Amino acid sequence: MTLAQFLVLSAALFSIGIYGVLIRRNAVLVLLSVELMLAAVNINFVAFGRYFADSTAGGQVFALFVVTVAAAEVGIGLAIVLLIFRNRASANIDELDVLKW
Amino acid sequence: MDLGVAQNWFFLVIGLVMVAASLVVVTSRNVMHAALMLVATLGGSAALFVLLGAEFVAGVVVLVYIGAVIVLFLFGVMITRVEIGRGSSLDHANPWPAAAIAIATFAVLAGSAVAFFGDAEVDGVAAVRTSDIGTSIFDRFVVPFEVVSFVLLAALIGSIVLARKDPES
Amino acid sequence: MFDYHALAPDFIVAGTVLAVLGADLFLPRERKWLAAVVGILGLTVALIPIVTLAASDDSVRSMMDGSYVIDDFALVLKAFFILTGYIVLLMSVAYVEADRYYQGEYYFLVLASLLGGMVMASSRDLISLFVGLELVSGPAFLLAGWKKADARSNEAALKFFIIGVLSAAILLYGMSLVYGMTGSLSFDGIREASASVAEEPVFVLGILLVLVGFGFKVSAVPFHFWAPDTYEGAPTPVTAYLSVGSKAAGFVGILLVSYVAFAGAPEIWGPALWILAALSMIVGNLIALRQENIVRLLAYSSIAHAGFMLVPFAAAALVEGDSLNQAFEATVTYVLIYGIMNLGAFAVVIAAARRTGSGQIRDWSGLGSYAPGISILLTLFFFSLAGIPPLAGWYAKFVMFLAVLQNANGWTIALAAIAALNAVIALYYYARVVQSVWMDPAPDEVAPDPEPSGVAPSLGLAFGMLAVAVIVVGVFPEAVGQFAKAASAIAGG
Repeated sequence: MTLAQFLVLSAALFSIGIYGVLIRRNAVLVLLSVELMLAAVNINFVAFGRYFADSTAGGQVFALFVVTVAAAEVGIGLAIVLLIFRNRASANIDELDVLKW
Repeated sequence: MDLGVAQNWFFLVIGLVMVAASLVVVTSRNVMHAALMLVATLGGSAALFVLLGAEFVAGVVVLVYIGAVIVLFLFGVMITRVEIGRGSSLDHANPWPAAAIAIATFAVLAGSAVAFFGDAEVDGVAAVRTSDIGTSIFDRFVVPFEVVSFVLLAALIGSIVLARKDPES
Repeated sequence: MFDYHALAPDFIVAGTVLAVLGADLFLPRERKWLAAVVGILGLTVALIPIVTLAASDDSVRSMMDGSYVIDDFALVLKAFFILTGYIVLLMSVAYVEADRYYQGEYYFLVLASLLGGMVMASSRDLISLFVGLELVSGPAFLLAGWKKADARSNEAALKFFIIGVLSAAILLYGMSLVYGMTGSLSFDGIREASASVAEEPVFVLGILLVLVGFGFKVSAVPFHFWAPDTYEGAPTPVTAYLSVGSKAAGFVGILLVSYVAFAGAPEIWGPALWILAALSMIVGNLIALRQENIVRLLAYSSIAHAGFMLVPFAAAALVEGDSLNQAFEATVTYVLIYGIMNLGAFAVVIAAARRTGSGQIRDWSGLGSYAPGISILLTLFFFSLAGIPPLAGWYAKFVMFLAVLQNANGWTIALAAIAALNAVIALYYYARVVQSVWMDPAPDEVAPDPEPSGVAPSLGLAFGMLAVAVIVVGVFPEAVGQFAKAASAIAGG
């Protein structure tokens, strides 16, 4: 297996995630797209870690931290979405129009 | 990519499944399908980690991501009743600018990576053992390990406060 | 392996975070403000080891293979975060008591976020830096939505959160490319390995993505659009924290990666930050001119100030050697002084909005005639933000121009000219608020003062500390200058 094939796959996932962030209006769906980008990041870290035979296992450790932090972020995000839903029964970010851009 | 090697066939199948599933995640009109296809993508990434000899990370992704995060997402989808089933208001009207940005990003990232790394192999070297990861986390990376526990605690407490229903006073 | 003396400030603040959470369990509803007192006491204790560490002979204490370091930069920034926490807690007490907030958890999250900033200041590898940054932002997302019943606050939290996780993902992708090109996560390792790959497109992409990630955190244009909405919707003391603590954390990140990790590649980050600096100053100031709401005005002004802080980076990139330290020093000086005066400005907003019942600038007209104390403080902090001597702000701008013009060439002179022009524009909109407060007639019916005894004592204490600091630093700039100078020793590695 070459390193480049993993990097191309991760670039594809990252770009698809960016597409999702730009195209989706619903906060939960935007968050799902960001998860795709983080999955791409993890593939990069693990593949590079293997490539360098990093003695401190840096790539894999970083991937573990990314997974942990992402779990915390999803918890925060869904709490905020739930809060907004309570107050106005919609989770679409475009309909948040009290504050103008 | 040398298709004479069995691992590359695995990679090809997993990679295609992941890309297809992730495209469904960002295009599906059904929020439930999108969340379930994210499971497929993340499952694929766990399989890749096994191919790369990172079994522990693969296990964590399955347990934490697929086991916990996706369940959280499904709860979120169900509690907030985001239009499950066919919804029309989930996407912006014009997908082409976003698609152009995404394709350009892919071309730049993938092109530069292929140009630099060429056919450098990843499987020539011994994989890191799980015990090495443990030693590393509790030695060199012990500070971020402790700090991440504060991140989780803050997220837990704060999320409860925001999400709970206030008692009427 | 552990140097407990060096880790003491972080340990004490970490203990304080937990103590506040524990205290909240036992405090009755009407005594919740005592949780803030616990927090303030803890922060005070945490200052002691910072002083003893600064006085000790070992100037650099390095742990975990050099990935966690206590040096002058770390100490100065830790002290800054602790003092920011002090002021923010003081500003918050009366504010969160006046409404139905979850107070104990509020103080807990503010302190947790500060702890993240303190960890970042000591981080010398990508993992610690990233995890520290997440500890800064995670609680901040939640705090922005703390006014649970207010739709604006909810939206502020959601917008901030979406931008926050997106910027984290971009930052991480950049970090993964940097790791892939250098094989190292520590800043020292990256710097050593970067010499051979500095020209490679993948490495350049990695650096640029990292800068984009931090660009969101410091709300530099074009990554700024979330800031005005989030600042306006969040509770005002939280906004003060976001515009000072959270922004300083972003600058700690940019400073560390640029001057330490990527010290071998200034020709990559220099021009990129030149563009961000110029755009932030111009766009921030021009949009600030049109703002009617005081918090939005300060939000755009803080975007413009982020531009001023980025100016020295562009200069540093052009010349080798000493200029690196000087530019670093200029940015640190600016961050420290900006922290004092911006906290002061937001403290004024809290007091004046309570007095007038409004955040619209036109409703503040004639404030000077019926609330002279608040108006004098407003004049003090706004003129300091504008950079008028002898208030602290002039020195921040002075060292910034000095750092740029020391190594003058076409690009730096162009940037200095943009900065000078923007300093004038900024003067206009700050002065407009001050003029409206003193010169315009008061409305016919002034709302009755909700607090006839003056501002709440805790807010008054915050005012006192900030006003003294703004004047002392303005008259004796060395009070901040020498700390910034000591901190700049790490630039260039």
